[in-house]
Amino acid sequence: MNLYYGANLLIYAGVDIIACLALNLQFGVSGIVNFSFIVFQAVGAYTAAVLSMPNDKAFGYDFQLYVGGYQLPFPIPWIGGAVAGGLLAVPVGLVVLRKLRADYQAIALLVTSVIANTVITNARPFLNGAAGLALVPPPLADQIDPNTAPYQYFYVGLTILAVVLVLFVVNRVVNSPYGRSLRAMREREIAAMAIGKNPVRLKMTAFIVGGVIAGFSGALLVGFIQFWAPSVWLYPETIILFAAIIVGGRGNNVGAILGALLVPVGFEEVTRLLNNAPLGLPAGVVPALEWVAIGLLIMGFLWFRPDGVRPEPRRVFEGGPDIE
Amino acid sequence: MNLLVEAFGFGLVSMSVIAIAAVGFTMQFGITNNINLAYGEVMISSAYVAYYVNRAGISIWIGMVAGALFGAVFSFLLNRIVYSPFIRKGTSQIGMVIVSLAVSLMIANLLLPIVGYDYVSYQNSTGELIHIGSIILTTNQIGIMAVSVALMVLIHGLLKYTRLGKAMRATAANPTLARNCGIPTQRVIDAVWLITGALCGLAGVVAAMNSDSFAIVNGATFLITVLAAAVLGGAGQPYGAMIGAVLIGLITELSAAIWSPEYKEVVAFGVLVLVMVLRPQGLLARRGAMAAAG
Repeated sequence: MNLYYGANLLIYAGVDIIACLALNLQFGVSGIVNFSFIVFQAVGAYTAAVLSMPNDKAFGYDFQLYVGGYQLPFPIPWIGGAVAGGLLAVPVGLVVLRKLRADYQAIALLVTSVIANTVITNARPFLNGAAGLALVPPPLADQIDPNTAPYQYFYVGLTILAVVLVLFVVNRVVNSPYGRSLRAMREREIAAMAIGKNPVRLKMTAFIVGGVIAGFSGALLVGFIQFWAPSVWLYPETIILFAAIIVGGRGNNVGAILGALLVPVGFEEVTRLLNNAPLGLPAGVVPALEWVAIGLLIMGFLWFRPDGVRPEPRRVFEGGPDIE
Repeated sequence: MNLLVEAFGFGLVSMSVIAIAAVGFTMQFGITNNINLAYGEVMISSAYVAYYVNRAGISIWIGMVAGALFGAVFSFLLNRIVYSPFIRKGTSQIGMVIVSLAVSLMIANLLLPIVGYDYVSYQNSTGELIHIGSIILTTNQIGIMAVSVALMVLIHGLLKYTRLGKAMRATAANPTLARNCGIPTQRVIDAVWLITGALCGLAGVVAAMNSDSFAIVNGATFLITVLAAAVLGGAGQPYGAMIGAVLIGLITELSAAIWSPEYKEVVAFGVLVLVMVLRPQGLLARRGAMAAAG
């Protein structure tokens, strides 16, 4: 296993863990079925890309068409990505989360995800359409050469820092009284309203905080892969993250991390092995079967172990009545 | 101006196609209380069944029947093997949405190695051109419209004048009460999946006929148009879905003429967002998107 491969694996794992923590906050803790999660990651990635790239008339970049191009120094593009994720969550949340029933929210968000991808693909001058943005400058490329071993260590270090930061934030949210309100709303919205909680406000906050973290994960990823296009954020990508949360265990951060390592990272590795193995399958069959496996995994877990590998711990208060 | 009149003609065909699909979807949802996100994929699978029948040299109108039969059997089995066991296990409504999305993903990807990525189209003559004022339609398009109108009349008759239709409406209104009154709700639900599955399959074939060519990726775009029409009319309301189909069909074709055909689904989506903001219960429903689940 060489260094570049190892770094690649660790950074993808970090991005998946961050994404799963954010989705767990929305889906696992608050009960919002955010089928357009990947759009928030994408908006963060695009924002970070256009903030760090030079203008689209600049030498070497003039084969693409995009808005912006400000060449801002690190860490502004990352902050911009996180802010963009949060900003996008405001209008989407206001349309979807206020009046609609939970299952309608889910389909509205799913449709949003499909349409957002269609629009970006077709509107080329905006973000270079289907071809996507290439040659996104990696952070601090002027200080350390990105094609060297130290840079790989540096980026892995940045990723670990990012994971720790996000984990700290979501742990604080989930374990705070505020997290308790979120769980109360998830369990029984009407009861939560009866004790004075405002579900729309709770959902909006969880949606925006999740959007910020999702945007941040996109910025982190695009800085490393230096490329972003509609084909990497099709709506099934969100389903992988849902599979991760369902497998890991809804509603707890340890489960989300476990799920991120088992599902997206695990599948990535299995594909690599299958592609290298001489099976003689025609191209495209392995990825297709992988999606089938993801579907089976979701259904299998919902059937046999709906609480996941690590179920959410029951929170019991000392001195409270015994419920069993 | 002529352009708009022509677009109106296409709109008539479009709304006929959407109506078949949306009525099937909305009945499935209204009676079984299950949002079947795999609907678009069942449509596209049926379109492929008709494609293979058609390629064997058989007329596409017979292929349409094959597609409808396939859709009926497929949907019936989908409910029996996947949805119904999950519902009986007590999976929440949100859990069912996730299950149906997983099913949709699986159908598309099981189909992919069989039919490939490429766009295909049916082998059939488009028929003669018929001029009605400045609207120009092919005999095929008029055939699609006739099929659609006939189906709508049949659905109306089924729901209004038959015992099965009455049982369906009773099951939709209150399944427990219906069962207590001696209605065999399980058999009614089986019948619903067969009937709506046939509508779904048939809609897939006519949608594929109406577009020049189709591929697996169209499953998702079919679903969006169907959802837009069904939600616009008020989910679970067959007559609402018909009105929704008329509006969505007209709006998308007019926008394609004025703006760009690439954005048809985007316009349908815009209508969907407007409905969800302004009238989430849809045009006809008394209780729809706003009512509590269950």
